[in-house]
Amino acid sequence: MNRGAVATAAGYLGTRLGQALIALWGVTTAVFFALRLSGDPARLLAPQGATAADIARLRGQLGLDVSVWHQYLNFLDGLLHGDLGYSYVQHQPALGLIAQRVPYTIDLALSALFLSVVFGVGAGMVMALNRGRWPERVLMPVVLVGQAMPAFWTGILLILLFSVTFRILPSTGYGGITSLILPAVTLASLSAATVARITRGAVLEQLGRDYVRTARSKGAGTARLVVRHLARNVSVPILTVLALEVANLLGGSVVTELIFAWPGLGQLTVQSVDGRDFPLVQAIVILAALVYIVVNLVTDLAYAFLDPRISTLGKAAGT
Amino acid sequence: MRAPRHPRTTRTRTAFRGLRAPRAAALGGLAALLAASLTACALPTTTGGSAPGSARLTADLAGYPSSLDPGLQYDTDSYSVYRNIFDQLLHRDPKTNKPIPWLATHWRRTNPTTWVFTLRDDVRFSDGSRLTAADAAFSVQRILDPKFGSQQYANFSAIASATGHGDTLILTTKYPSPTLLTYLTTLSVVPEAYVKKVGNDRFNVRPMGSGPYSFVSAIPGSQVVLKRNESYWGAEPPIRRVTFRAVPSPASRVADLTSGKADIADGMTPDTAIQMKSASNLKVLSAPTERVSYLAFNTIKGGPTDDPRVRRAISLAIDYKALISALEQGYGKRVNSVLTPLAVGYPEQLSPYTYDPKKARGLIKQAGAAGKTVVMATSPTYDPQIVQVIQANIQDAGLKVSIVNSDQATYLKKVQSPSHDWGSIRFGQWSCSCLDADGVAYPLFRSGTVWSSYHNPDFDALVDQARRTIDPVARDRLYAKAYGILDKDTPGVGLFQIYSIYGANKRLLWHPDAQQSFYVADMRFTS
Amino acid sequence: MSGQKVTGRTGRRRGLIPAVVVVLYVLVALCAPLISPFDPNHADLVARLSGPFTTVHGHFHLLGTDALGRDVLSRAFYGSRVSIAVAAATVVVSGAFGVLVGVLAGWYRGWVGVVVMRVADIALSVPFFLLAILVVAVLGPSLANVVICLALVRWPRYTRIAYASVLETRERGFVRGAVAVGAPGRWIVTRHVLPEVLPLAVVVATLELGLMVVFEASLSFIGLGVQPPTASWGSMLSDGQNYVASAWWLVTFPGLALFGLVLAVNLLGDTVRDRLDPTRSVSRKPFRRRGPGRGGRAPGWLRPGGTTGPTAPTSTAPTSTAPIPTAPSGTSQEA
Repeated sequence: MNRGAVATAAGYLGTRLGQALIALWGVTTAVFFALRLSGDPARLLAPQGATAADIARLRGQLGLDVSVWHQYLNFLDGLLHGDLGYSYVQHQPALGLIAQRVPYTIDLALSALFLSVVFGVGAGMVMALNRGRWPERVLMPVVLVGQAMPAFWTGILLILLFSVTFRILPSTGYGGITSLILPAVTLASLSAATVARITRGAVLEQLGRDYVRTARSKGAGTARLVVRHLARNVSVPILTVLALEVANLLGGSVVTELIFAWPGLGQLTVQSVDGRDFPLVQAIVILAALVYIVVNLVTDLAYAFLDPRISTLGKAAGT
Repeated sequence: MRAPRHPRTTRTRTAFRGLRAPRAAALGGLAALLAASLTACALPTTTGGSAPGSARLTADLAGYPSSLDPGLQYDTDSYSVYRNIFDQLLHRDPKTNKPIPWLATHWRRTNPTTWVFTLRDDVRFSDGSRLTAADAAFSVQRILDPKFGSQQYANFSAIASATGHGDTLILTTKYPSPTLLTYLTTLSVVPEAYVKKVGNDRFNVRPMGSGPYSFVSAIPGSQVVLKRNESYWGAEPPIRRVTFRAVPSPASRVADLTSGKADIADGMTPDTAIQMKSASNLKVLSAPTERVSYLAFNTIKGGPTDDPRVRRAISLAIDYKALISALEQGYGKRVNSVLTPLAVGYPEQLSPYTYDPKKARGLIKQAGAAGKTVVMATSPTYDPQIVQVIQANIQDAGLKVSIVNSDQATYLKKVQSPSHDWGSIRFGQWSCSCLDADGVAYPLFRSGTVWSSYHNPDFDALVDQARRTIDPVARDRLYAKAYGILDKDTPGVGLFQIYSIYGANKRLLWHPDAQQSFYVADMRFTS
Repeated sequence: MSGQKVTGRTGRRRGLIPAVVVVLYVLVALCAPLISPFDPNHADLVARLSGPFTTVHGHFHLLGTDALGRDVLSRAFYGSRVSIAVAAATVVVSGAFGVLVGVLAGWYRGWVGVVVMRVADIALSVPFFLLAILVVAVLGPSLANVVICLALVRWPRYTRIAYASVLETRERGFVRGAVAVGAPGRWIVTRHVLPEVLPLAVVVATLELGLMVVFEASLSFIGLGVQPPTASWGSMLSDGQNYVASAWWLVTFPGLALFGLVLAVNLLGDTVRDRLDPTRSVSRKPFRRRGPGRGGRAPGWLRPGGTTGPTAPTSTAPTSTAPIPTAPSGTSQEA
């Protein structure tokens, strides 16, 4: 890369970062105001027999008795000092509560990712290399079924089968590796199917290439072909999909966590919105948006690095 | 026509340029897996259930406690856990439900607004420090402290001051309060010195009290583990270690019970009770509670329900028997008002509601409301099955019922709005944790309170007077009059008294009480 | 070509069975009142939780009854109305809005483009369920709000594709020519740009359709979708979850109905995509020519390079001969 390209890349990075910050601010603001339209946490927190005065008092304690703009300024002020506030319901710092839950969500997402990679890539390879023969005819319907199964139904059926009927796996909560199996399988089923299809397509694409034909004509066996040639060239599209699946798995675990009572972020999200725990919801939104923006930025930069042509296009806003 | 298969040069180039990527990605993947296994190791693991004969208990709750600090929240899940860690100032007699001594051995009222309690002197917190009246006073003061933001403030708002010296606790109230003792049965005493040392945040995460059990560990959102407090002042509890787990789905709680992963489960539904009865290793434990299932009408801006005849008609349109026997599987009892017989002030003289669909139809015709639509406001918190059965019942009487379901926050905002435009009927379940008519009649129907969409000056005067009258006989008389007015005006209908339902292993011996208090110390296994 | 075998064998008929199934679902939805054996909301406490093929006081319940004694088959029939209506409405609303702002952004570029695409980023960066919960919390749960909520989340998919496609198209010879001769912008957009964008939008829409069915069911499942007593497969499953151990039919049949529709819609979507976006199809490569062009900004699998003008979805032989650029990226950016 010459100096000019580096300068362009730096400018591109700067623009992207600036835009990312604006996006983050936009998300936070939108959620802040949407939340305040959505109900009164004080009413939810007050005991059943509380009087209007009790509720008003509670509202004051939560800092909700001032105008929305005032609350917003307070919030921004806290944000600048890295303070995301206290959970109304649990009386603990919002960030701390999130930090407690993150390991469980990551645990679940990574287990699901592992299953997706093993079964998705495996099935995709097998299907592509056995095009038209029985392995593909058996696997393809499985993949299509996997793609059409909503996570919550998969989850319920797995519970019905393994927890209720056979009683071999726990259906809820966190309790070691056995409790991880059902939620991970549930979460992985959809992304494994997606990965399998992408892998199949990518491998087929490569199989049609000249270099493969050349290798074949030289008498290379399938195993050698896969290891020496295909694996490298196929990994780029698969990795791209996987990068996106990671984000999907992290964000898409809400329903799965609810079904299996998994103590992760998804459950915390639903609870915090249900309880109108404003600081906690805001903290979760900021975190989620941050993760999304960073993943996007890194992906874009990776492309720009891999394919310099994109960086020149990057100046126009877009993906 | 098909395109010939050209090698796509640009693509191949990209692919080769990307050769560096796979290696990095492989490393990344490895790191990810490593991280996964590391987090998996780092997370505490526990095994559910109890081996036969061991004194370990696993209890499935419907939700994770929202606080372990007894000064903050007062919901069933939190209370079930923390009341085992702490001692309460008073207890209730399991039979009569009257307040009886616990930490306070005796008490007297020196004037209408001053109460003097004498506390036990042999109670120690699990860190060895002594529990004194100062700790009890501190426990009250922090709930009253606006900065603390306790959700129990409303229960103790009658208290003006709390002071403690040695074993004497003095409480003064703002006005003569007949329900003070009843609320003090829910007051858990916390160690002042410890709370001040570690701060409220930390105390909420690692609570420490004088109760029969002490805190061991917790996985937020999932489980809390307690162990027997070996220096407990009372009788030694038979259960040595207890694990509370949050298992939101009733079906999963049954599965846990059946497979032996849990020994007892809270918050079971009548339907799961049938299942549990048919399982050879399970039993159903149940007790009447002070919780009442009710309908409240909008008598101010309710449309058809502004007319007392329509309200009376609706009270006649509901098939109470079928509701209790078919939906509640008998885990409920008919009532004669919006109150349960357990409460002080229950109007014994009234006769129970009756089911008379013919008379209901007649009344609705007479009121000119036939075919009109009444809006029933509800939220997912309230059993949708009951709501739908009531809808069907009312429709049979000649009204149309449209159900407006919104989430709890929106529902509260609407129903508690002073503009009273939330609809015509709502279904709810009421519990004041006080076993007193004041905790039900006042917040539900006294005009001007957040829940009330009813206005009757005579009724208001009666309940206002009753809440400041200490003489029990005089109070009973006042509530008899007040409930007489409610019976005539029908601003609400009591559907049934709700029973608590627990599922338990047959080997577990325990008797649930009216407050749904989850005293693990009272539980034991048969050998 | 050996790769011809599997997909090639069924060839043109590939989309037929899914299409028939989808049509059947639509018919069931339309005729639900006619074919349902019972009122879907009629509670019959005596008959509650009866299994499939049971007759309770003279009423035969093919798929059993739920906890209120309502007929599962009738509710499943009515549930299809909600699923199909919400999915279709969402796709139309989000598609129309997404394409509109995408085209505007791509045509005017500059600050319009930046603002639109940043807002799209914002919409994409809030986790779906969080946004859904918020929207429902603010607006209240109802059929229309479910559509609004889903549309709010999904429009950026269309916008991104429309935007990229417009950027691509406006550099083409014929558009440049039209601009050079002073043709009005609106004319160029409707005459030249939209015909390039719409087939892509249709492809996205068909792929989105299945997803929207699942999303609606998920929302109803967590209690944010259509409100009881209205039957929706998602809420039926969520109700049934509590009876998973005692009444298997409550979680099985609505799930099967949902699964069948999603599978059929997905398969149909694959067919439509292969027809409209031939670069994706590995086995069938309709006629196309390559020319020098710049790299696409569109997600790989929806590169504008493959489309060939306003082709009817059923056309198997694209007719346009405009030089079509190929994108270098072989990857998918859209999940």
